[in-house]
Amino acid sequence: MIPLSWYLIFAALLFCVGLFGVMARRNAVAVLMSIELMLNAVNVNLLAFWRYLYPDVQAQIFVVIVLAAAAAEAVIGLALIISVYRRRKTVFADDLTLLKG
Amino acid sequence: MDILVWFIPLPPLLAFFAIVLYSNPRKALSHSIAIGGALLSWLMGMIVFIAAITRPDLRAHPIGSVINWLPVANGWFQIGVRIDPLSAVVLFFVVWTVLGIFLYSVGYQNFGQPAGEHDHPGLPPEGAAIRVRKGLTHHVMSIEPLYSRFFALISLFAFAMLLLVVSDNLLTLYIGWEIMGFCSYALIGFWYGKKSARDAAIKAFLTTRVGDMFLFIGLIALYVQTGSLSYAGSLESSAALAKLAAPAGFLGLTWAGLIGILIFIGVVGKSAQFPLHVWLPDAMEGPTPVSAMIHAATMVSAGVYLAIRIFPLVTLGWQQGAPITAAMTVMAAIGTFTALFAASIAVTQNDIKRVLAYSTISQLGFMIAALGVGAYVAAVFHLMTHAFFKGLLFLGSGSVIHGMEHGAMHAQGDQPAEGHPTGEHVDPQDMFNMGGLKDRMPITFWTFLAGGMALSGLPLVTAGFWSKDEILAGAFNGNHLLIFIVLAISALLTAFYTMRQITLTFLGQPRTEAARHAQENTRTMTIPLIVLAVFAVAAGWVGIPRSFPGLGAISSNPLESFVGTMIPAWLEGHADVAGSSIPLLTSLLVSLLGLYVGYMVYRKVDAGAEDPLRRPLGAWYAWAQNRYGIDALYHTLFVRPAVWLSEVFTYQILDKKIIDGILEGIARGTLGLGSLMRRFIDVALVNRAGDLTGSGVRGLGGEMRKAQTGKVQQYMLLAVLLTVLVGAVLFFILVRA
Amino acid sequence: MQSATPFLSLILFIPTVAALLLLFVPSNERGVIKWGAFIASLLPLALTILMWMQFSPNAVTGRFQFEEIAYWYPAIGASYHLGIDGISLTMIFLTTLLVPLGILASFSLTERVKGFMILFLLLETGMLGVFMALDLMLFFVFWEAGLVPMYFLISQWGGKNRNYASLKFILYTMGGSLGLLLAIQMIGVTTKSYDYLQWLGNWRTLDAVARPLFGLPVSTVKSIAFWAFVVAFAVKVPIWPFHTWLPDAHTEAPTAGSMILAGVMLKLGAYGFLRLVLPLFPVQSKEYAPALAVLATLAIILGALGAFGQDDFKRLVAYSSINHMGFVVLGIAAAAAAAGTDNALLAMNGAVLQMFNHGLYAAGMFFLVGVIYDRAHTRDLNAFGGLWRLLPIYGTVLMFMSMASLGLPGLNGFVSEFLVVRGAWPVFIAATTISMIGVFFTGAYTLKALWKVLQGPLNVHWVGHLTEMTTRELVVVAPLMALILVIGIWPAWILDVINKTVMTLF
Repeated sequence: MIPLSWYLIFAALLFCVGLFGVMARRNAVAVLMSIELMLNAVNVNLLAFWRYLYPDVQAQIFVVIVLAAAAAEAVIGLALIISVYRRRKTVFADDLTLLKG
Repeated sequence: MDILVWFIPLPPLLAFFAIVLYSNPRKALSHSIAIGGALLSWLMGMIVFIAAITRPDLRAHPIGSVINWLPVANGWFQIGVRIDPLSAVVLFFVVWTVLGIFLYSVGYQNFGQPAGEHDHPGLPPEGAAIRVRKGLTHHVMSIEPLYSRFFALISLFAFAMLLLVVSDNLLTLYIGWEIMGFCSYALIGFWYGKKSARDAAIKAFLTTRVGDMFLFIGLIALYVQTGSLSYAGSLESSAALAKLAAPAGFLGLTWAGLIGILIFIGVVGKSAQFPLHVWLPDAMEGPTPVSAMIHAATMVSAGVYLAIRIFPLVTLGWQQGAPITAAMTVMAAIGTFTALFAASIAVTQNDIKRVLAYSTISQLGFMIAALGVGAYVAAVFHLMTHAFFKGLLFLGSGSVIHGMEHGAMHAQGDQPAEGHPTGEHVDPQDMFNMGGLKDRMPITFWTFLAGGMALSGLPLVTAGFWSKDEILAGAFNGNHLLIFIVLAISALLTAFYTMRQITLTFLGQPRTEAARHAQENTRTMTIPLIVLAVFAVAAGWVGIPRSFPGLGAISSNPLESFVGTMIPAWLEGHADVAGSSIPLLTSLLVSLLGLYVGYMVYRKVDAGAEDPLRRPLGAWYAWAQNRYGIDALYHTLFVRPAVWLSEVFTYQILDKKIIDGILEGIARGTLGLGSLMRRFIDVALVNRAGDLTGSGVRGLGGEMRKAQTGKVQQYMLLAVLLTVLVGAVLFFILVRA
Repeated sequence: MQSATPFLSLILFIPTVAALLLLFVPSNERGVIKWGAFIASLLPLALTILMWMQFSPNAVTGRFQFEEIAYWYPAIGASYHLGIDGISLTMIFLTTLLVPLGILASFSLTERVKGFMILFLLLETGMLGVFMALDLMLFFVFWEAGLVPMYFLISQWGGKNRNYASLKFILYTMGGSLGLLLAIQMIGVTTKSYDYLQWLGNWRTLDAVARPLFGLPVSTVKSIAFWAFVVAFAVKVPIWPFHTWLPDAHTEAPTAGSMILAGVMLKLGAYGFLRLVLPLFPVQSKEYAPALAVLATLAIILGALGAFGQDDFKRLVAYSSINHMGFVVLGIAAAAAAAGTDNALLAMNGAVLQMFNHGLYAAGMFFLVGVIYDRAHTRDLNAFGGLWRLLPIYGTVLMFMSMASLGLPGLNGFVSEFLVVRGAWPVFIAATTISMIGVFFTGAYTLKALWKVLQGPLNVHWVGHLTEMTTRELVVVAPLMALILVIGIWPAWILDVINKTVMTLF
């Protein structure tokens, strides 16, 4: 059987990819997708822990909640991006500097 | 009876309030209230008087009672009323003269006459024009605009005097005394719109106040020494007198002497003795009934009354025949000097009222001198007779003036309706404008003559002779030869100026149109004259000495046996000294001589002529006429320095310059210190430190601001880096350490 | 004696409550504000009269009556402690009497009525508090609370020179009260209490019991406190030479302000002497009484001379206050020097009665000055003349009031002056005798005012410009005149209350 650590390493890598995407990609849609990646990395972790450490049904609830949250987040995120695009005609993160002090 | 005494002063007081608060606009009601009040007082006074003279041994059992008035420490200060022989006599003449003056005032203030169209409150009425025929008017006297106020004030005046008389203690006496001072102020300045009247009022008030201050201290000292201010407790009890006999440690006087002199200075002010006499002649500015009030019934009599009251103080330690005490010496000296001094001024005055004013001062000097030589009964006697004849003379002179004013208006005849009255303006008070009034004003003449004769001491018939004779006898029998001679000369002058006055006023030919048209006055004015004239003559008969040749045999001298009981115990035991006949002959001689010379000098004075005495007396005449320059002297000596002291020294220099200067100096110093501190501490240090903090923070913020780019991804990167950093640090510190 | 009705608190705070209520009335509702303030100030007067009737002058046990105690500031030992004796009662009566009259006198005010009335009512609370407080912290709080409204009354509604005058007033009196606060604090810390009755109770044993303060022995603390008290109260009375704030403040204050200032505020200083200095420091008081008597004599003489030297009617009356308060101080000095004798009792009776009397006629005089100023818009005595003809009623009232202030027997001033002089003369013969010079000049300046205003040739400039006193103005002076006359003729009703208290004090 594949040991737990493999899953964890995989999830960490996936998370890092997502993190990189969030920080490095300039396109807001890509950033959103990277966030999805990070969330799913967490899901992988959760599933792995469930399978190896707490094999009962309640632990799976977390995954479902995360999936639901990710879905909601994607919906709101995309809606925001479209709204931004309509106003500013761009989805490049570097152009969106309204918070500049 | 004891209760009745309490009520004697009240009716005039109630009349005062009633007039002030209620009946002021109604003139007839006002004088009715005032006269009603005076009448009630008169009635009660007479009942009490009769009770007093019929009560055996009134001295030991006076009529009166006391009540608690003022809580002092552990007890009460009691006030009360008391009628003893002295106050009975004074009460008698006060109620009579007051009633007469009240009645007289109705006519004098022109009740029933129209109001003058040019009259104003505060100025003497100038007369009214009435239309007689078409286009022609006739000038008549007009009613006093402040008629009601006049009656209110003289009612208050009468109240104060009656209060003073019925008091059984010096405090309520003092209260009456001071209220009288106020009334005289208000009445002398009754025509307040006249500058001279205003000044005279102030002069009267302030001059008497000088005396009052001493009197006040004297009362306090007496109260402190004896623990009482009632006559019985402080002046008549042997315990009190024993305490008063102790030396005061001041000029070698005993307490009695010191207090006596202090109180006597009050008398000097009130009774217008030298050197505080200056107010009284000026007091003639008031309406004539007021002059009569002041000179006869109230003010000046009150002064002498007090002097008689304190007789036990001034004579304490003196025996009949022994040298007189210090206090008595003071009284004798001042009284004698004043008698001569004032008489000599009276000789030179032309104003009919002023002559009488100086005459009053002079006669009061006689009384004071009498007290000074220990002639107690003589002083009381002269006080009483003087009140009657001087009241009469003043009312008579008022009648003359009134008649003259009437004559002056009448002399103008009928005038066109427009315009002011024209024609000569005569001073209705100048005797040189009169003459021959005997025929025009017969009642006034005969009564004035009675008063004048009494004043000059016409032998045997008049009251003034008997009382003045007693004073001279007192001075002579006491071996005070100087006093005797001076008083005799004064009496001579008195007779002289009295005859001068009568001759100039009533005898000879009229010297002006006004005198020619003068007219006898209404009955309200003449009746009081007649009543007082009776007293001016008859009041002397109660005091004819038993030793007098002839008449003495039928005289029981009731006054002596009545008032004589008031003489302090240590002076009793001397009978009516059957002394020599020298004083009697002297008074006979001076009176007749004075009258004769007066008549001879003045019987033929033509209109416009000057005083026949002016040339022979020369500079002295002018000096005396100018009151020996004393008023001017006082002005430079006291009035100006006082004004300088208050306006310049106290206010400008002391308060404004010195005290406020110091204060403002402190304020300025503090202000300077403050601005120094601001410049060198606040601005230099504190503010700079504050500013540095502020600008530093601001600069730092500006630098840090640059980190905030607005790029979310950079924040994220920073956050991750920091997380890693913190994680690493924690890891190394917590786990590895 | 605990009273069923909290009279004192009611009297004390009704004006405050009324002032707070007035805050909610719109400023343009002048009628409501004026009448509201007037009616609100009548309530304390009514209560005071009720209280007077229930007051028992003979009470020997528990010298203070109508006592009230409540927690206030237990940490430092201060409590809300009120109580009165005969002296405070007369002063409270004076205050509650003069405040409604002052408000009524201010009905002619047209600008910023609301603020004026509110300040006036607050002022009343401040002054009453001083007379009622039996706790020294409370005493001080009210002492200061009275100053502030007065400052604003002068500086906002005053005359031309009001800024100078109000600043001088507040700085001077504040300067005095600094020492007062210091003294109260020092003794408070030493005794661990601010309660007046406790101070009195353990005052003598304090030297032995209390520990030194900042290394100062207790006796030194006491001496410092003595001088601090004396200076604070001397400024307030004012005793010569601390008096120069008074003419300025009085002259510039609005009419009602002057009435209260002269009528009540000056009494606070004298009251302080009676309540704090003499009972607490009998030895020192006795030692320095001659100096105080000399200052009092100077106040009497120089106050009178100062008044005589004025051409400003109001300033003349202001100086007369110095002159009259000099008698209060003379009485206090005599009482201090001769404590325990009948002289002291008489002098003290006279002093307290003089405080009350002066309150009456000084307020009356200032009011009358205000009446003429309202019409003529000048106070220059030389600008008047012969006005009696135009204003007969006013002239008579002024004459009456002047005579009361001159000390005419039969009116109130005489009784108190007589008592003071009677009490002081045996103690300070020279000072009292010399002060008679001042009494003479009292007559002089009083007559000067009368002759310049009422008498003499009429200044025709005023014909048609001056109107007679209105009914409202007569209502203001009538109670004063009535009391002046009643006390002059029958002083026993009030003097009895004072006398019995004074006898328990000394």
